Amino acid sequence: MVVAEPKDMEMLTGAMIPPIPARMLNEFVYCPRLGYLMWVQGEFEHSADTVEGGIKHRRVDKGGGSLPEDPGEEEIVHARSVSLGSETLGVTGKIDLVEGEGNRVTPVDYKRGKRPHVEGGVYDPEKVQLCAYGLLLKEHGFECVEGFIYFVGSKERVPVPFDGALVSRTMAAIEEFRKVAAGDRIPPPLDGSPKCVRCSLVGICLPDEVGFLSRRGVEPRPIFPSIERGLPMYVQSPRGYVRKDGERMVVEVAKEQVAAAAYGDVSQVALFGPASMTTPALHECLRREIPVTWFSYGGWFMGHTFGSGHRNVTTRTAQYRASFDDGKCLDLSRRLVAGKIANCRTLLRRNWKGGPDALPSLMTSMRGDVRRAVRAPSIESLLGAEGGAAGRYFANFSGMMNWKDEGEGGFDFNGRNRRPPRDPVNALLSFAYAMLVREWVVALSGVGLDPYRGFYHQPRFGRPALALDMMEPFRPLVADSTVLTAINNGEVRAGDFVRTAGACALTEKGRRSFIAAFERRMGLEVTHPIFKYRISYRRLLEVEARLLVRFLMGELKRYPVFMTR
Amino acid sequence: MERLFIVAYDIQDPKRWRRVFKTMHGYGKWLQLSVFQCRLSRMRYLQMEALLGEFVNQKTDHVLILDMGPADSVKPRVQSIGRPFEPVERIPVIV
Ligand code: SF4
Repeated sequence: MVVAEPKDMEMLTGAMIPPIPARMLNEFVYCPRLGYLMWVQGEFEHSADTVEGGIKHRRVDKGGGSLPEDPGEEEIVHARSVSLGSETLGVTGKIDLVEGEGNRVTPVDYKRGKRPHVEGGVYDPEKVQLCAYGLLLKEHGFECVEGFIYFVGSKERVPVPFDGALVSRTMAAIEEFRKVAAGDRIPPPLDGSPKCVRCSLVGICLPDEVGFLSRRGVEPRPIFPSIERGLPMYVQSPRGYVRKDGERMVVEVAKEQVAAAAYGDVSQVALFGPASMTTPALHECLRREIPVTWFSYGGWFMGHTFGSGHRNVTTRTAQYRASFDDGKCLDLSRRLVAGKIANCRTLLRRNWKGGPDALPSLMTSMRGDVRRAVRAPSIESLLGAEGGAAGRYFANFSGMMNWKDEGEGGFDFNGRNRRPPRDPVNALLSFAYAMLVREWVVALSGVGLDPYRGFYHQPRFGRPALALDMMEPFRPLVADSTVLTAINNGEVRAGDFVRTAGACALTEKGRRSFIAAFERRMGLEVTHPIFKYRISYRRLLEVEARLLVRFLMGELKRYPVFMTR
Repeated sequence: MERLFIVAYDIQDPKRWRRVFKTMHGYGKWLQLSVFQCRLSRMRYLQMEALLGEFVNQKTDHVLILDMGPADSVKPRVQSIGRPFEPVERIPVIV
């Protein structure tokens, strides 16, 4: 018996490739990588252009129609939204409009915007798409020698003759696309192309970043960080209640409206403890792919609710495959842990207020920890290096804190304890890590990865192992530094905690100010040490998640861990 | 980059008015009777424009969208008598 390798099973042989939608052929001619991402990996992202395109198309699609069964009868043809397919050609298409007389017809494709200032008045990818329609019509027995592009913006109709050159270009593009789809290599990104700036998948593709990391080319343009996204909504008041009101989410406390936000402005919803949400409000979140995360009252991350989710199976397959590869796991774990220790060290160096003597020797020993992590021969020895560094780091953590509140007896810190945290600083740290886990779960799920399957942290019931892996380098940068800021600025005070039976937790008010501090940190812009552009921590997490995908898919040799200087 | 807009509308039919009023809540903050203040990316702007274009009666109704400039840097010169006017900010909701 022959057992297929998992790899072979996913690879499509030529005959198994379904016909290519002519629209996708257009994307492929624009950029092969774009065609691949959209059609083979099922990636899609709205951009201003796709929104505008969709709106203009809605009008065209309204009237449906069909072609005469038997071409050749003398009659006027005028059919809208005509779907055709051909196995022989390997293409399908939905033509906006087919018109003509008898068996002589022309396809018309509607495009948003104005007629572009290029030779012939039509861009190449559009010509190929239209020509594919022409070929489809020919396959179905019609005579078809030209087509039209109708520009909605300028109400112009531009003819496109289906000459020999265009026909062979189109056939070649189909064949090329089928070949690319049958292989398992994603086409490389374009090199510094102006096309990327207008590309709806630029945030998924990361053309400049991937190009830069694999070839050390020119510094990436900041296309990705400039894409606008919404902001989170936190409901941590135990009586908080979110309901849908038309286009908005309204938050009520004790039947009174306390906040509202348009669905379009919300990136995620976080609910704490008994705070709740109506089913219609939740449904709308699912429909719009707004993740809802659930925390216990004490701030323990419990899980998330997502819409039907990401269609890109390839990404998850690559993730699982890598997770069974011990070498890859160790390599990635070393990088993440070394990155964390290095970032802890930087945080100490920048914020140290403690006694004058400890620092130089501490810096030296922590550099040693980084080296041990990078060279760790096994996960066990890596855990050892991490533990050593964590011990040193937390033993000196209070050296970064002001002692303003000492009189009130607050903010003693004698090292890390958890589950339950026993003092205010530990309570803040635990809460901050739970918040950061949520950010990572959202970022990873959003790019099509499974947050529960990790490389360093072993999967255990209900534990988002990959999110825990990825957050390692960000613990000091985002979580710890938020804790320090909140304490040093007096944003949380000793009175903002409740103690019960050896456990310490934030009050509702304390939690609210701490979440605000956390949000400020996430929105803070830093200069990316590798790419050199400015980017907020929130967007950075997304970039890091995308880069992990590029690494798992074999496009990048190394995963570049984020380290501040 | 987000821009700041003032949207004012004059809708003849009460049913259509309610529809526009509801829709506008998805894009901005209600200022007064038929006036909203919005902070929108190009994408959200296009969505709003398309929806409004679909809902209003082109013959009898009138919608004005005033572009005030880049939302992060513009200081709109507004004279507000009575209640204060605050340009919409981009902040997370924490309740
Ligand atoms: S961003 Fe550029 S390289 Fe990437 S898919 Fe789009 S056009 Fe192609």
